[in-house]
Amino acid sequence: MSGAARWPLAGGIALLALPLALSDFWLFIAIEVLAFALYAVSFNVLLGYGGMLSFGHAAFFGVGGYAAALLVKNVGLSAGLAFALLPLVAMAAAAAFAAVIGFFSVRRSGIYFAMLTFAFQMLLYTVALKATGLTGGDDGMTGLKPPGVLAKPFAYYYFALALVAPALYVLFRLVSSPFGYTLRALRANARRVQYIGVDVRAHQLAAFVITGAFAGLAGGLFALSSGNVFPGWLNWTASATPIVMAVLGGVHTFLGPALGAAVYVVLEVWISGKTEYWPLAMGIIILVLVLLMPEGLTGLARRRTA
Amino acid sequence: MILQVQGLAKRFGGLRALDGVDLAVEPGEFRAIIGPNGAGKSTFFNVMTGLLPADSGRVRFEGRDVTGSTPHLLARMGVGRTFQITSIFHDLTALENVQVSLLAHARQAWSLWPKARALHAARAKELLALVGLESSISRTAGVLSHGDQKRLELAIALAGEPRLLLLDEPTAGMAAQERIESITLVHRLARELGLSCVFTEHDMAVVFAVATRITVMHQGKVLAEGTPAEVRARPEVQQVYLGAGAT
Repeated sequence: MSGAARWPLAGGIALLALPLALSDFWLFIAIEVLAFALYAVSFNVLLGYGGMLSFGHAAFFGVGGYAAALLVKNVGLSAGLAFALLPLVAMAAAAAFAAVIGFFSVRRSGIYFAMLTFAFQMLLYTVALKATGLTGGDDGMTGLKPPGVLAKPFAYYYFALALVAPALYVLFRLVSSPFGYTLRALRANARRVQYIGVDVRAHQLAAFVITGAFAGLAGGLFALSSGNVFPGWLNWTASATPIVMAVLGGVHTFLGPALGAAVYVVLEVWISGKTEYWPLAMGIIILVLVLLMPEGLTGLARRRTA
Repeated sequence: MILQVQGLAKRFGGLRALDGVDLAVEPGEFRAIIGPNGAGKSTFFNVMTGLLPADSGRVRFEGRDVTGSTPHLLARMGVGRTFQITSIFHDLTALENVQVSLLAHARQAWSLWPKARALHAARAKELLALVGLESSISRTAGVLSHGDQKRLELAIALAGEPRLLLLDEPTAGMAAQERIESITLVHRLARELGLSCVFTEHDMAVVFAVATRITVMHQGKVLAEGTPAEVRARPEVQQVYLGAGAT
């Protein structure tokens, strides 16, 4: 077997066997890692491949979370049916919002694009905060849980894995496809892409909507495992999370941000158990890691093997 | 007529960058546009190719009114272009640079599932060989020499199978000998592929080596037009351009 085929296989077996080795608590953390891995990778398809720094990617994670919460609590479907529809609904809701936000945001590039995505996200944050009847306002929506056996951590872990793994594969095919090649070309030189006959805005919008949909799926998955959704999911600080994860793991490899997400989530759990000043400790650790490894963890591994 | 421009005008504030430019290019021409710095050559290219909107005037490509068309639509119609400051994909390999262009030309830029790596690779290699980059196929475009980057940009443009190629200073930044080699390559390829070319150029040796006709611009207007011999003989041309700072 070739070396390239061996790694995904080993990784897949490890992920399948994980519930055997972890306590329920750490299994919850593993589910969080899966959701944030998808979130960070979807974000990095925009940043690392498309050169689009979105400062509002949390909007789609949050919309996915709220869509899942509303579906489970308010729509009045049977628990099983609502849950079966959850991935689809979370993705569709996020995609719809991404289509509107993206339509306006891709008209600008660089820092202006970032600011537009930021502004739209803050708009949604305000709505989540003020539309108390729909979203529960500041209190968020709580008491969410998957139906039946899926409420058990190991079952929900497999459910999340069964969605996240194919989602990552779809995103991987996307970046390896002609669409993805064109996206990389766009990062390098958007004007040249125009002059080879590609509608740059339409291409960027498509990337924005697709990655937004997958962020929505991540948000929906996480809402049901954490049991709640808060307006804070839509706050601007939440948009920094995938940025940090992507940079930490490395923006130049497809799975780098997933690794970044794992390290980030586990560090956060570990340090917040040690000190109440954990955000300070997190900040310092991330600062040191990024300074020591400008290309992220995967960049370090690549240099070692090269 | 493959390209017909009538009364093209563009102002930047008080400056008339283009002040009613007319141009008519026959199929198969290798047309040079010359003029001192600030004559409006680059603006002319940018307005013609939809990068900047025209204030007034018309642009026709193969008889079709394309005034105000976006760059990507013009490219799809068969107008290729290169830039004064070489415009390539720096962090892609030379091969990928050309592949991306071939994918766009084949309307596959939106293809979401197939793996792109092998698509059009053979044709991309052919094009790279055509411009003399066969030994740099898997090198990152950003590390190529300036001249090789210019050649790569030419391959990117040719991948779109244009019928009209617009080259903005194709020899900018090259040494004298390399300039002639470079423009001769473009000239030969244009002949072989049956393209019409319009190019701007500062180096008179380059211009007179290949141009079939020359248009002289000055202060946003066409000052003179004709065969190289005719243009060389015009006193007003010598005055504004050839006499002053000819290189």
